[in-house]
Amino acid sequence: MQRFFPRLILTLTLLSVLATTGYSQADLPMPSRYVEDYANVINDSDERSLNGVLQELEQKTGAQYIVLTVLSTGDLPIEQFSIELAEKWKLGQKGKDNGMLFVLSKNDRRWRFEVGYGLEGFVTDQYCGRIGRDVLVPYLRKGDYSRGIYESNLQIVQRIATEAGVSLTGMPKITPAPIRNKRIGLPCCSALPILIFLLLIFGGAGRGMGWWFFLPFMMGGFGGHGGYGRSGSFGGGSFGGGFGSFGGGMGGGFGGGGASGGW
Amino acid sequence: MRNIGKIWIALIAVLIVVLLLGLGAFRWYIGGYNKAVNLDQGVEKAWADIDAALQRRLDLVPNLVNTVKGYATHEKELFENIANARTKYFNAGSREGKIEATNELTGFLSRLLMLQESYPELKANENFRDLQVALEGTENRINVARTRYNEAARLLNSYTKQFFGSFFCRKAGVGPVDYFEATEQAKTEAPKVEF
Repeated sequence: MQRFFPRLILTLTLLSVLATTGYSQADLPMPSRYVEDYANVINDSDERSLNGVLQELEQKTGAQYIVLTVLSTGDLPIEQFSIELAEKWKLGQKGKDNGMLFVLSKNDRRWRFEVGYGLEGFVTDQYCGRIGRDVLVPYLRKGDYSRGIYESNLQIVQRIATEAGVSLTGMPKITPAPIRNKRIGLPCCSALPILIFLLLIFGGAGRGMGWWFFLPFMMGGFGGHGGYGRSGSFGGGSFGGGFGSFGGGMGGGFGGGGASGGW
Repeated sequence: MRNIGKIWIALIAVLIVVLLLGLGAFRWYIGGYNKAVNLDQGVEKAWADIDAALQRRLDLVPNLVNTVKGYATHEKELFENIANARTKYFNAGSREGKIEATNELTGFLSRLLMLQESYPELKANENFRDLQVALEGTENRINVARTRYNEAARLLNSYTKQFFGSFFCRKAGVGPVDYFEATEQAKTEAPKVEF
């Protein structure tokens, strides 16, 4: 009995820690196309058109943008569902982190824009929130999911293309939503993580930089730890006509940027 | 003459075996040591990301409070609590202190967001809605960073307890770290907002 309780407490602590560390639960296969309409709410012509635009976006800017609809996200909040999928699929290019994931969960009545690190600077949370509120939700309330998803995502696509300085030939005429993009908070905020990271690297370099530091150079070729990225294939190529297939994520990173809401 | 040659060959063979064994042990040692250092750096980096996300939220707080203040005039106590939690965070020297202040602040901020239910003009304010989205964004970033930090901490902590791991961690001067656990209050009161 005396031994039992400490063990019980230890087990409970471990369990709660496991619960907070959150093992990946969202599980969907890597999309084969840019628009994955599992909930079947997007009509064919919108889907074809959006798919073509998203393919062109990747070809011209490298940004990987996936539009996903599901019936439900299960027990997971949509925020967790989308970040887990975005991480698993590694949308966006490694280093540029220019991935985007839109998720609409039909039965939960929730939507989310998940924005990769590299796009956060101009596809801000507030911008996504406004697109969701002013463009997407009015359509969703009318039951026109297809138009809502189509127009709201095209707005963001247009923004990414404009920022990259390219024009998309497949882009239909859309009137930009009257959205001001006011920066809230200090402009230094975006540089802050980088600064802290640099500080840590250079601050930490002094410690433990002993003799062993030179060993890798002397011995060469022993396995490092903690490799990132993905060794998967990136095939694809153009299929034209809006039927383009998505080749797979390129190792982009996400940090939870974006916005979500319900209707 | 022939015997001497054999002895030489045997000696060289033994020498090579000893060298190989030594090299193997050496590489094993370096590998274990580096793993400890890398895990520790992984935790440091994950913490830096949390810190950045927390900082981002703290930068947002004055703006948010000022906006709400214009509508909800008699919530002085809440505003003071928020200001105090913010100061507490900045004054906290240790990671535990920062975690504690953060959890407090999370609770107060969700109460601040709930004020919109009692003040319809606040709810309709565009600036407030923007700030709210920004706050939700940072809360979400904090969550993501916290999950990653806990994962990094778990890897490090289990290594410090492993048979050889504990030896290497001592050598590298690396110790176990605390997990960042959200308080129950923070979890249940996380702002959920329907537009």
